Amino acid sequence: MSAAGNQQLIERFRHQPAPLLPVLHAFHDRDGFLSEDALRAVSEGLKIPLADLFGTVTFYHHFSREPGGLNKPRVCTGNVCSLRGGNELLAALKSQGATAMPCSGRCDEPVPVLRGHETLVGTTPENLRASASPLPAPNPGGCEECIFTHIREPGRATLEGYKRTGGYEALTKAVREMSPAQLLAVVTESKLAGRGGAGFPTGVKWKAVADAAGNPKSVVCNADEGEPGCFKDRAIMDHDPHAMLEGMALAGFATGAARGFIYLRYEYPETFRILERAIAEAEAAGLLGANILGSAFSFKIHLRRGAGAYICGEEGSLLNSLEGKHPFPRNKPPYPVTHGFENLPTAVNNVETLASVPPIVRNGAAWYRGLGRNGHAGTKLISLSGDIQRPGNYEVPIGLPLQTLLHEWAGGPLSGRTIQAVTMAGLSGGFLAGDSLDCTLDEPSIRSKGSFLGAGGIIVFDDSRNMVAAAHDAMEFFAHESCGKCFPCRIGTQRLTERLNGEAGPRDLAAWTEEVRDIGAAMRATSACGLGMAAPFVTDSLLKFFPKQVENHVSAK
Amino acid sequence: MTEHSMNATAMERKLTMTLDGQPVGFSEGETIYQVAQRAQKNVPTLCYDERLEAFGACRLCVVEVEGVKAPVASCTTKVTPGMIVRSGSPTIEKYRKTLLELVVSENREVDVNPLRGFASQELTTLVDRYGARTGRFKGKKSGTSNKSDDNPFILRDYDLCISCYRCVRVCAEQEGDYAISMMNRGFSTQITTEFNGRLKDSDCTFCGQCVQTCPTGALADKKALRAADLPGEVTKTRTICPYCGVGCSVDLLTKGDRLVGVQPAMDGPANGGALCIKGQFAFDFVQHEDRLKKPLLRQADGSFKETDWDTALDIAAAGFRRALEQHGRRSIYGIASGRAPHEAAYSMQKFIRAGFGTHYIDNCSRA
Repeated sequence: MSAAGNQQLIERFRHQPAPLLPVLHAFHDRDGFLSEDALRAVSEGLKIPLADLFGTVTFYHHFSREPGGLNKPRVCTGNVCSLRGGNELLAALKSQGATAMPCSGRCDEPVPVLRGHETLVGTTPENLRASASPLPAPNPGGCEECIFTHIREPGRATLEGYKRTGGYEALTKAVREMSPAQLLAVVTESKLAGRGGAGFPTGVKWKAVADAAGNPKSVVCNADEGEPGCFKDRAIMDHDPHAMLEGMALAGFATGAARGFIYLRYEYPETFRILERAIAEAEAAGLLGANILGSAFSFKIHLRRGAGAYICGEEGSLLNSLEGKHPFPRNKPPYPVTHGFENLPTAVNNVETLASVPPIVRNGAAWYRGLGRNGHAGTKLISLSGDIQRPGNYEVPIGLPLQTLLHEWAGGPLSGRTIQAVTMAGLSGGFLAGDSLDCTLDEPSIRSKGSFLGAGGIIVFDDSRNMVAAAHDAMEFFAHESCGKCFPCRIGTQRLTERLNGEAGPRDLAAWTEEVRDIGAAMRATSACGLGMAAPFVTDSLLKFFPKQVENHVSAK
Repeated sequence: MTEHSMNATAMERKLTMTLDGQPVGFSEGETIYQVAQRAQKNVPTLCYDERLEAFGACRLCVVEVEGVKAPVASCTTKVTPGMIVRSGSPTIEKYRKTLLELVVSENREVDVNPLRGFASQELTTLVDRYGARTGRFKGKKSGTSNKSDDNPFILRDYDLCISCYRCVRVCAEQEGDYAISMMNRGFSTQITTEFNGRLKDSDCTFCGQCVQTCPTGALADKKALRAADLPGEVTKTRTICPYCGVGCSVDLLTKGDRLVGVQPAMDGPANGGALCIKGQFAFDFVQHEDRLKKPLLRQADGSFKETDWDTALDIAAAGFRRALEQHGRRSIYGIASGRAPHEAAYSMQKFIRAGFGTHYIDNCSRA
């Protein structure tokens, strides 16, 4: 049975694009772990050298190589959940073979536990329960929204629910009335920019793909939302999946791509099923697949599931992962717009970016630009978590004051507490504190404070928190997720972690500071990708805002 | 087109950039690192091996490019016309020193025996050049040596590994074996084989290329290391591998009159730094005690007795002649040894063809 079964699992995906991850998941699901026998079969079936395959499998956090591993609980001990009892829950579940996992994108409802393909939430083994991910609250500022406008409507995740308020009208308009160039023009004029954090103008990216030589082209939806404190893409995909699918199809129409990939993080199993169903519904209705709405435009979406690696949110790593290679970032240039999936032109876009496109096409570029404040175009989803009254996802006009979000929209700190610091860009932007909290939620303002908005994750730390410990947890995450390719990041994140937890490093404050600054400077300047470049924001902002806590830490050792 | 006008067009098309204030020509597709090396800038690297695709891991080769915010890895960045590059400003040199101090902080040892391999002194040399403080960034060590790998050729001393992946890349790109790869990630990265087993259970052919490209001696030549305690300096003598007909250039390593190891010539025209298991590791026969140095004559009882060359050759010649007379020229068949040098192979075929008048001549390398 085993050999025939192996063959069937491989055959199911062998002729599809990007077959390795689904084949590995098929074995992982069937056996509950990835056995030596399974890897030998996959190596032979997909013609991947066994040593390479073995190495690649060990790169991913969630592929278990021990029997029974798949169904052992994985408890989030991420930066928010560790404030909410994640470590205690892990200890309580140890007898069930529980292991820790880094932030799994449920910071609005801690503590998530992944058991097989189910997300449970709770704080003790007894109160763990399966629960659908939280919906965003109605916009507290009464601001007009782009992405969340209809997300709270019942049944929105179904095709019927989505179509009730104009769903797929943008795609219909595009394929029936517009040329790809006209669609590109609308997106460019809207000033929509990459909402995964890099902020690259979407219209410019799509035009580069449209103009690039080489076929077939691809649209890749980056749904590997791995940044700690970010859970906005999950909200879109769980509650408004068709918005993202329609955005992908529009991207395909504008760029001339006939195939799309969704690279979804492992930690969102419910989302996987929702997307699977939504894709099937749209295909059955002729809104995806061959000859969409009877036009000459075809667009096939392939859903792929990651296996636990933050770095796979970096587009080069993501593409390598899709292609079944070791998920190291790629050297740039060339960029994915010319050399993306299988070295062919590829638009890699974040979920939020793609979900913004249908309303933009429906309501026009000027409408979208007008949603921002102080001359900024559009809106941004912010995932707010930590020591705050009402954590959750908020769609803010770009340019909204941070203090308005924290105090008016989200109810401010917990009773009797004050806000000591917030992180920016999840963890990647380090901390803001003191006067620097008086900024507006747009890149120029936050960059002027020495950080960046990035993907829009904000974690709040109140005055009860030890900021050196918070910085340590952040750096430990980066060390855990460093891919190991470039030296400054691989060694630098480790050395900074050791200095933040006191395991190593000088006991003299000046020497400690010099070491931490030198490592950070070399990492920022020479790292090969954004992970290593961003990690020192944590230590630099710690030194800037919390010199006294640093002094206590160094002298206490 | 005349030769003159062709040259003029080529001159007009000559691509130039500015390197440390000097105009420098370059060809389409060249990287900053390649141009800088030609201009003798001595840009440091640890993950670079010119035979391999540039990888961009060690980041020591970073340079500043005008108009680009962060420094770029010169090994992976192609030069564009008019590019203005600074190859080693004080800021860049400081980053390089910090990077080296980070690298040595994960290692147990920096000074290693040069017998370990061709490139084994690269890290040591850079640490000395930059005055990098080896104890500066103390902390956990990375890499776990695989002492249980009991093969006779390759020492897997990963305590010294800096995860530059040159071994993995040379195995894939040069040798096409894909026997090794990297497992885990980040600081837990470890060079591995399939299922982290022994080399001899993997697709490894023991060609030794991983050993020779390793910049720290983490992969080491076990056979050469047998001579680690022999007195004297190592001398390298360039020659051609005596095994098959490819003609790989090698450097024989000797201490005194003892042959202690072989290293491939990186500039060998036939091999470009590659060898096979035989050329790399099978040299013990040269000074082996069982090696025949005098002819032996078979006795009536089947045993052998040492004799001199004149006697031996006379007896052999008589045997050949007898075979020729009794059975004709087609009773003679010559097989030259694959170990013999080319000149000897040539003499052998001439001996068979001219001496016996037959084309029955072959070479064991063909098998």
